[in-house]
Formats: sequence, structure tokens, C-alpha cells
Amino acid sequence: MTTYPTTEMPSTDTAVRRTDRLAGPAPRPGIFDELSKREIRRAVLSGIAIPGYQVPFGSREMPVARGWGSGGLQVTLSLVGQDTRLKVIDQGEDAGVNASNLRRLVVGHVGCEEETDTREADVIQSRHRIPEQPLQDGQVLVLQVPGAEPLAGIVKNMDEQRRMHAEADYSKMWVRLYEDIVHNGLITNAAGYPVLVEGRYVMTPSPIPRWDVPKLNHSEGVTVLSAGREKRIFAVPPHTLVEPLTFEDRPFEVERTPGAACRLCGSDDTYIVQEPGPDGTFSTWVCSDTDFCRRRRAGDAPEVTALEAALAHTREESTI
Amino acid sequence: MSTPVPLAPPTWALKVEGLGRIYGDPSAASLAGTGPEHGTAVSPATGAVVAAWDVDFDVAPGEALGIIGESGSGKSTVMRCVAGDEIATAGTIALRGVDAGTTNIRDLDPSARRRLRLDQISAVYQDPAAGLNLDVSAGGNIADPLTAIGWRNYGRIRERAAQLLSRVEVPLDRMDDPVRSFSGGMRQRVQIAKALANDPPVLLLDEPTTGLDASVAAGVLDLLRGLLEETGVAAVVVSHDFGVIEMLTRRVLVMQHGRVVESGLTDQLLEDPQHPYSQQLVAAARG
Amino acid sequence: MRTDITMTTTTQPIADADTGPAPGAVLSVRGLRKDFTLHTIDGRTVGALHGVDLDVGPGEHVALAGTSGAGKSTLLRCVYRTYLTGSGHIWFRTETGESVDIAALPDAEVAQLRGHEIGYVSQFLRSQPRRSVLSIVATAGVARGMDREAAHDAAAAALRQVGIDEQLWDMHATVLSGGQKQRVNIAAGTISPPRLLLLDEPVSALDPANRAAVLDLIARLEETGTAVLSVFHDLDAIERLATRVVVLGGGKVLATGAPEDILRDPSLPLEVAR
Repeated sequence: MTTYPTTEMPSTDTAVRRTDRLAGPAPRPGIFDELSKREIRRAVLSGIAIPGYQVPFGSREMPVARGWGSGGLQVTLSLVGQDTRLKVIDQGEDAGVNASNLRRLVVGHVGCEEETDTREADVIQSRHRIPEQPLQDGQVLVLQVPGAEPLAGIVKNMDEQRRMHAEADYSKMWVRLYEDIVHNGLITNAAGYPVLVEGRYVMTPSPIPRWDVPKLNHSEGVTVLSAGREKRIFAVPPHTLVEPLTFEDRPFEVERTPGAACRLCGSDDTYIVQEPGPDGTFSTWVCSDTDFCRRRRAGDAPEVTALEAALAHTREESTI
Repeated sequence: MSTPVPLAPPTWALKVEGLGRIYGDPSAASLAGTGPEHGTAVSPATGAVVAAWDVDFDVAPGEALGIIGESGSGKSTVMRCVAGDEIATAGTIALRGVDAGTTNIRDLDPSARRRLRLDQISAVYQDPAAGLNLDVSAGGNIADPLTAIGWRNYGRIRERAAQLLSRVEVPLDRMDDPVRSFSGGMRQRVQIAKALANDPPVLLLDEPTTGLDASVAAGVLDLLRGLLEETGVAAVVVSHDFGVIEMLTRRVLVMQHGRVVESGLTDQLLEDPQHPYSQQLVAAARG
Repeated sequence: MRTDITMTTTTQPIADADTGPAPGAVLSVRGLRKDFTLHTIDGRTVGALHGVDLDVGPGEHVALAGTSGAGKSTLLRCVYRTYLTGSGHIWFRTETGESVDIAALPDAEVAQLRGHEIGYVSQFLRSQPRRSVLSIVATAGVARGMDREAAHDAAAAALRQVGIDEQLWDMHATVLSGGQKQRVNIAAGTISPPRLLLLDEPVSALDPANRAAVLDLIARLEETGTAVLSVFHDLDAIERLATRVVVLGGGKVLATGAPEDILRDPSLPLEVAR
């Protein structure tokens, strides 16, 4: 065995106390240590400081597969404490298998409170949806992002992608939109519609439907987007300008099916999805946001949805 | 406070002085033993390749300057250094459109340099794939430089693209087809249209018709000649082909082993070449 | 021998022209020497001009005569700068009254002069793009400062005058016959006439009728004040057009004088079709 020369060290006691101070509370046994959480929070803060910019972070192994919300999970774990009320949804549904598993994992690990009412939640982790209930000051929406790079389908080279972001050189993105209109008559991006954040960075808002995209503009809450597989975190702070990319003479439009309404609550001002009937055909519609639908039925939901509020705000802005 | 007297803008659109590009050791030690009198561009001392050295020229608006030489003479290197595709080792490159010619654009950071390519200086390459995205439609390729300088109106972008394509004689019913489905000559026309999209004051053409069939090349040359006459653009035409140079340019530089061995009016260079190498080139071309 | 013919290498009316054209002249050639070094043929040197002096005034038509190889075309080409001058001066007075030495002027400035003030017409239509006949002639007018509409009208008039059928106007010049090309070339060279026009055998390929039309056109240049320096192969053209004839031989000026005197002097080496 090799012996190494030793140097005079400060007393072990002091050293331990110093690292204690550095690392915060003693690590809890389990899936995520405090230093890692701190690194994630730092990345989130960087993301908030530079809206729309993709901050690299050291994505950890999580007890879920990459691509199944591991990025969102890490952000959520780094944000919640024992007194946090946590809501987790998958496609708008609190009871989805993936949502339930993630919620159970976090609650079991941290000991925080489960919540389904969007109004009461402090942190909302979501896959593919932003709730219909307008977010409030103090709320954090964590979106799971399968693909963080809006330029990925446009240029393959990652150095080139970074250069394009650095120089705000987005002409190839515009060419993509142009080609889309040429060949399809409209911009076909359905989920993850590219947006320009605060006039600077082009960002993909994760695969939310177009319906939810306007809600990012001048939101009261913070949106944090996290891609575990790609190791990127980015964010939209409150009151930030978020504009869907489109040509002046081709206005951005959200999905609507004329005449369709939720079978359960009757709403036609929420994002509705088709459900399979007993005969296997898709003929009826239901709200994607199950919490909002339940409260609509109970008369406990606001008249004005988050989308309407956001569109009203945008109209107001454009008339100024 | 006294108002500074504004300097009169230069008469040239592009001016290049003492341009040099060395691959390898960029020190003065690499220069000795290279150039036409030594018959090589490779430094015997350092092994560096002096691809271009001491190149001077200027081009006025509406004028076309040729650079001729065999492959390896350094003519394409000069063009790439001016275009910004490569960083020159030495010299000054000035554009009238950039601070009235007082800035050496070689000193600009890479991002500022790339921005010049949007509306100050355009390049047309021998290989259309170098200047175009073949998977994108002809109109989409032209939309690229337009959106890059802020065009955001789909209808106006299409109008401009159609105008440019008809100027380069690409049938408008091909506007929405991917460029990959185009013939070589047609691709080259699209590349030219794209290069002219933002009316750049300086246009660089690197072997614009090499590799095309003779009759197709003649058509592209006719087009280029008409464009140069009409647009008032300052053009630099790099070619090994005297036919191209004679058709497009009024003045020409002859390069050999990285150095300019002769410069003159194009017809003078063809009728009364002075340097042994120029005489050889002309004799070969006339042969 | 007639007394008004001087057999010297210096011609009259030569005034001191060290810094510009002689008084009243548009072009003053002084001590022009030119030889060719042929690097591809064992580096030998071939002499062409051995000190030529010459003046051309506005509205004057000076015809160069002499045997083949006397240096007539070489002289024209030196003035146009298609050939570089070995030594000597080629003084030219520009439209603004400035004196420039074409032998030493930077290329770009020569190119400028060519577009606007000095024209050159040879028997060949050089490297023209496949553009319409009308547009070739009109473009020459635009290059000399006419606006497009005026150039278009003038081009039409010039083409009519040289007898190019209107049906050919929108055709590419490449499909024309040699004689037609030459006439298009003349039309382009004389539209909005330059201050100095150099003519290098401009009617050599024409049939008698078209030749007459072109000679008429050239004759009318006198009224516009254009200075013309020409090389013609045939005596009739010289006699009809020239105000003065300069005879070259062995790269030097052998004689200068009025056409009726020079052309009838059997002692002069003239190689012209009589």
C-alpha cells in the first residue's frame, strides 16, 4: 500500500463544521442530495436571469427513466420543502399514471403536501399542459421538456445551434416557418410552438398545445422548463414578453373545434380532447384539465380562463 | 464643441491592402523562398503554405474585377478571406458601407463579420450546395437573408423572392420546389438570386460557371453580365477561365503561387500580357 | 516632291506637349515606343513602334496609312490601352478639360474614360452577351451618360442608319452575320459619340451598300466634334473621310498631310486597295 506524505491540516472539527455550513442541512438519505439541489436552483436562477436561455446543468440519475420527467423531477425536488403544496399533472390530469408516480415519489422523499387544486398549489409540475386556472404571483410551474433545443430539427451541429442563439441568428427558423406555409398552407407546429422570449431567445415551450402558448406571455407565475436528458434548464420569469413566432400577415391561432364542448362541464372555452366512447369511436369531448373541469361543475372555477386573460392582455398591449 | 468635418466617402466599394493568408507558421520566416520567383507557395524554412500574400486591389460600384490563376494560385483564398469564410493572416479589408471604409473588417469579431454577409457583401460559390440549402424551396432559400434582416411579412417575402427569381430567369412555377430538384444551372441562378436578395454593394463570385455544361454556363454568364451592368454592384470574379473573366470584368489580377504577378485592364491582359506566367496562361487559353 | 508633305518623324502642328495635349488637340501622342517581349518564345523582343508623334483635334479625322506591319493597329491599341506603352506619352484632354496621360493612367481611370469618352470600334464584336441587338447599342449609350429612354431611341435611330433590319433588333447578336455584327458594333460605337473614336478597319467585312451607309455615319461625326483616329484598308474611305493622313512605316511616322496629297504620292509605302 502506498503511503502519501501528510501535511498539517486544520483541526478536523473545524473542517467538518465548515463543510456543514457550505452544504446546508445534513443530507437526507434518498434520491437527491442538497448540493445537487443547490446546483439545480442555481441553474434555475440563471435561467430566470436570462429568460429563454438554455442553462446547462449536471442532470442526475433519477429513479425514473430519462424522458419520463427526470428533468422536471429534479427541479421540483430542488424547490419543494415540507410545507410546499405540490400538484403534478400529465396532459392536464392529476390522476395520470406518470403524474401519480412522480407525485408519490416527491411526497415520499420530501414529505410535502399533495395538492390537486391549481389555486392552492405552490409548485405545479406538468407534462404537456398549462392549467386553465390563471397562475398567481408566487406559483411555480415546472414543465417537463423532452427536447429543449428549438433549433434541433433545423441544424444538426450543436456548436452551430449555440452560435445561432448567441447571435440571435434565427433566419433558418423563419425559413422553416416559411416552408411550412408554402407546403401546408399554415404553420403546422402543433405542440412546442417556437416562441421568442423577451425579444431575444427563441425557446421551445415544451410540447404544450398552441392553446397554452399565449399563457406564457406576461404570466404572474414563474415557469421553469427542464430537460433531464439534454441537461438544460430554462425559464420564463413573471411579466415576461413571450411571442409565438409567426409572420405579420399569418396571425398565430390556437386550436379550436367549432361547436365542441366538454361533455362533463359544458365548457367551450377550455382545451378539450376527444375521448373514446364505448363503441371505440371518438365522438365526445372532455376537458383536458381535470381539476378545472371538476371545479367548473362545482361552480368553483373563474369565468375567465388563463388563455382568455392572456389574450386580453396581449390585445391591450398591442393597442398601446 | 466643434463639429468634425466629415470625410468624403471613398470612391471604391471594396478595398483590399496587403492581404495575406498563411497556413501554418504565420511569422515572417515563412515568407522567404515562396512566390513565383521560387516556384512554390510552400516555405522551405517552416513548411507553411503562403496561400496569398501582399494582395492589393479595390473595386468601384458598378465595376467588376477579375482574379485569374491556376488552382492553388491563391485566388480562391483571397475571395474566402474577403468573404469572411477564412480569417486573413495580414492586411486590411475595407467596405465603403462599413464606417465609410475606415474600419478594417478583418478586426471585427466573428459575429459582426458574419452580419456583413447579410447586406454588405454576398458570395456565390462554384458549388450551389455551399450557398444554398438544397432541401429548402427556391423561395425559402431567398427568404433566409430577408428574414435575417428582419422581414416578417410572408406576402412581401414571397413577392420579393418572386421578383428575384424572375430576374434570374427561374420559372416562377418552380419557386416552391426544393432546390435539390433543380438542374445545375438553375441552382446557380437561385444562388445568385439569394446573393442579391438584400442588394449588397459588394458581390463575390467564385468560379460561378465552372462545372456547368458549356451552353448552360453561357446562359449564367449572360445573366451575370446583365446583372453587373444593371445593379451597380461592385463585383470580384474569381476564375481560372479567361472566357469568364473576359465576359464579366474590366480589370483583372493574375495570381501565381500566392502572389499577384500582374494586373491590368482585362483586354490589355489578354492582348498584351507582360509577365511570363500571364503570357503562358493567355497562350494556353488561346491555344 | 510636294512641299506640303514633310518627311520627318515629327509631324505638324506639333507644339510643346510635355504635360498635356498640344493646344487645341484632344489627343497628342509623343515619343510613343512599343515592343513586345515574348516570354513563351525564348524571351525575344519584337519592336513595333519606335517613337511616334501625332495630334488629333476635335472634329478632325486622322487616318493612319502604311503597309501591313507598319504599326497602325498597334498605335490604335496603345491609345485605347489594350496595349501597354513602352515609353512616351499619350495625352488626352478629358471632357472637363483635364490632361491625362493614357500611357500612365491607373487602370480604373482608363476604364472610366473608355466608358464615357473614348470609343473603339473594330471589325469584331467582342465578347458581347447574348442580349438583343437593340439593348447592346442602347447600353453603350447609357454608358456614355444618356438616360435609358433617350439611349433606346438613339439606338433605334443608329441601327436604322446602318441598315439593320428592325426584325433583327430583338435577336441575340450571336446569331448575326459578320457584316451585321460589324454594323451593330459601329452603331454602338457612334451612339452619343465619344470625344475620341478609334476605328480599326470598321468596314472591312461590309458589302458596298452597307459600307456606304456606315461611311455616311462616320462622316457625320465631324459635325459632333468627335476626334477620330482610324485605320482603313481602302483608299476611297480615307479619301472621303480623313481630314489628315499619317503614314506609318517601320513603327515611325513617315509622312503627314492632306489625303489628296498623301494618297497620290507614289513614293509613300501605302498598302491600300485603290
